Amino acid sequence: MKKATVLFVAFLLLGSIAVWARGKTEAKPAAKVSLWGWRTQDEPVWAKVVEALKAKGENVAIDFQAFVATEFDAKLLLALQGGTAPDIYLTRRLPNVTRVQPLIDGKYLQAIDGLVDLKNFTPVTLSFIQQGGKTYGVPFANQVCGIFYNLEIFAKYGLKEPQTWDELIAVCKTLQANKVTPFFMPAKDAWILAMQHAMVGVSMPGEEWIGKVIRGEAKFTDAPFVELNKALYDLKDFYQKDFMANAATDMDAAFATGQAAMVFYGVWGDTNWLTLNPNFKYGYFPVPGRNPGDARAYVYMDGSYGLNAASKNKDAALEILNFTATPEFGKIFSELTGEMTALKGVELPKNKPVLIECYGISTSIAAKYIYWVGSPFEAGNPTVYNMLTPGMQELYLGRTTPEGLAKTLQDGVASWYPAFKK
Amino acid sequence: MAHRTLRSYGFLLMLVPALILYTAFVAYPFLSSLILSFYDWPGIGPKKWVGLANYANVLGGVMSKEFYPAFAHNILFFAVSWLESIIPSLILAFGLAAGLRGTNAFKAIFFIPNTLSIVIVGFLWGLLLNPQWGIINQTLKAVGLASLALPWLGNMNTALVTIVTVNSWRGMGFYILVLLAGIVGISREIPEAGRIDGASEAQIATRLMLPQLLPHIATLTLLKAIWSFSVFDIVFAMEGSQAGPAGATDILGTLFYRIAFGGLGASQIGMGLGASIVTLTFLIVFPVSILYVVVVERKPGKGA
Repeated sequence: MKKATVLFVAFLLLGSIAVWARGKTEAKPAAKVSLWGWRTQDEPVWAKVVEALKAKGENVAIDFQAFVATEFDAKLLLALQGGTAPDIYLTRRLPNVTRVQPLIDGKYLQAIDGLVDLKNFTPVTLSFIQQGGKTYGVPFANQVCGIFYNLEIFAKYGLKEPQTWDELIAVCKTLQANKVTPFFMPAKDAWILAMQHAMVGVSMPGEEWIGKVIRGEAKFTDAPFVELNKALYDLKDFYQKDFMANAATDMDAAFATGQAAMVFYGVWGDTNWLTLNPNFKYGYFPVPGRNPGDARAYVYMDGSYGLNAASKNKDAALEILNFTATPEFGKIFSELTGEMTALKGVELPKNKPVLIECYGISTSIAAKYIYWVGSPFEAGNPTVYNMLTPGMQELYLGRTTPEGLAKTLQDGVASWYPAFKK
Repeated sequence: MAHRTLRSYGFLLMLVPALILYTAFVAYPFLSSLILSFYDWPGIGPKKWVGLANYANVLGGVMSKEFYPAFAHNILFFAVSWLESIIPSLILAFGLAAGLRGTNAFKAIFFIPNTLSIVIVGFLWGLLLNPQWGIINQTLKAVGLASLALPWLGNMNTALVTIVTVNSWRGMGFYILVLLAGIVGISREIPEAGRIDGASEAQIATRLMLPQLLPHIATLTLLKAIWSFSVFDIVFAMEGSQAGPAGATDILGTLFYRIAFGGLGASQIGMGLGASIVTLTFLIVFPVSILYVVVVERKPGKGA
C-alpha cells in the first residue's frame, strides 16, 4: 500500500515536470520593449501594435510610458546618462540644437539606415530626421499649417476660399462689414505668431525666395521680407479686439463656437475644436500668395521613434520600429489619434475630410524651403523661431517696425549661420 | 574622559541627520550649480570649461540685454508687491484686531487664497482677466468704465503689475496673520495709556502701535524681498516661459528657465549659462537672507 502511494506520487511529480518542461520550450516568453514618449494619446496605438504583431506570430510586449511634454526631455537625458533609458524613445525633428542634436552628438541615438525599411516615407518627411546622410528615427506624424475657416459663416456670406492675398483681404472686409470677426489671433501665445509668419512666408514672398536666403543669396532685410512683416502688421485690423491678451485656448473656444471666421493654425487643432463643439464644420486652405498658384503649405514632420544606441533589446525594438514604418501602422495611428500619419499611401478615416485634404496637400504643395521649425535656421542660436516669437509681439505693440524686425533676424542669424558669413 | 567628551560633543551626533539632508539637498546642488556655471554644457555629453565666460556674457555680453531688464522687473515685483501686500494687510490686521463680529470668518476668508496652488491661481485669474468674456472687463463695461477694460495680460504697461497683484492677493492671508499676531502681542497698557493721555484712535494706531510692529514689518519685508527675487511660478503660470508680451514680465526665474531648459523664446541655451544666472540670483538673495536672520534674531524677547 505504502509502496503504491510513493510510486503514484513519483509518477505525478515526473508527469507534471514533463508537462512544465514542454510548456517552457513551446511558449517563447514575450520580448518586452520599453518605449517612452510625451504623447499620452498613443497608449491605444501601442496596444493595437502588440495585437497586430501577435497576429503575425511575433510575441512582443511594449511597456509604454508617457511623460508631460515639458518634463520629457529632462527625464530622458537623465535616464540616458544613467543607463536606464528605454529601448525606443520619441524624438523631435532636426535641426534642433537643444533637443535632438545633443542626443546625436552624445551617440545616444542610433542611425536606423539599413535596419528599418523606410521606403514608405517621402524624402521630404525623412529629411526632418536626417543628418550627414543618416536617418535617426521613424517619423510618426506630419503637420500641415494654414488657414482654417468656419464653413457655415463662409456659406452665409457667399465667400469662397481666396486664391490671392488680395482676395483674402477682400474676404476679411466682407466679414468685418457684417460684424463678424475675420481672424481670432491668440497673440499671447507668441509661438502662434511665429507659426503664422512662417506659413504666410512660404506663399509670400514664397519658397523660392526663402531658398535664396538659405543659400545666402538673399537677406532677411531685403524688401520682400520687410513687405511680409508689413502685411502681417496690417492684418491686425482684422483680428479680434485686445488680441494681445488672448491665448490658444481662447482661440479654440472662439473658433469652434463661431465667434470668429478664421484662424491661422495647424491640422492638429481638429481634436480640440470637435471636443468643444462636436457639430463644428470647418474647412482648410493654404495661405494664398500675391498671385494665383503661389500658395504653398507649411508642412513639417512632428517627431519620430528613435532607437536607443545602448538598448539591450535591439532585435525586438527593431521589430517594432519596422512595423511603425508600414502603411498598416499609419492606418492604426491615424484612426486612433485622429492625426496625420507621416507614412504615404495610407487610407485615412473617412469622417475626417480636412485631414484627408491636408494629407494630399502634404505631398502636393508642401513648401520645399522654410524658415521656422525644421529649417536650417533652427541649427544655431539665436534661431529664427526664438527671434520671431518676441519680435512679432514687439511689432504689434509698436516696439519695433517691419524693418527693425527684419534687421533683428538678419543680425541674429548672421552671428552663426555659415551661408551668411561668406 | 571618553565619557566626558561624549557628553560635551555628543550633541554633534544629533546634528548628523539634518547635516546629511542639508548637504544632499541644499549644499551639494548649490555647489554643483556653482561649478556648472564655469562650463558650457547642453545637458548631456561632455562639459566644456569656459571659465568666467558665462558671467561675462550675462553681465556684459549678448545676454545682458535680457538679464538687466529681468533684474529690473524683479525689483519692480518687490516694490509693487510690498505696497500691495504690507499696507492693505496692516489695515486689515488692525480691523481684525478690533474684535468685531465675524472676525474668525474673515480670517479664514483672507487665508483661503494661500491654500490654492499657484497653477490654479494663474488659471483662474487668466479666465477672470480674459479681455472678451472675463468677468473683470465685463463688470467694468457694465458699470460704464469700458475705457478701463484693458487687455491686462497683453499690455506691456499692465502685464507685470497685474501678475504682481494676483500674487499679492494670493499671499495676503499670510501677511495679515503675521501682523495680527504682532498686534495681539502688544501689551494692552500701551493703547490704554494713550487713551488716558487723550490720543485719538488714529494716533494710537500710527504713533504707538505701528512702532511696535516695525520688527514684524521688517521681517515681512525681507521675506518679500527673498521671495520676489526667487519668484518664477506665477509668471510661468500666467505668461509662460517667454514671459510676454515681448518680455514685459520677464524675471530672473523665467530667464533662467528659458536658457537652462531651452524654453521657447530662448536666445541662447546652456545649462552652464543658466547656472551662472542662478549664482547671480543667489548673490542678490544671500545678503538679504543674512539680514533677515540678523533682524529676526534681534527681535524683542530673543535676548537682543
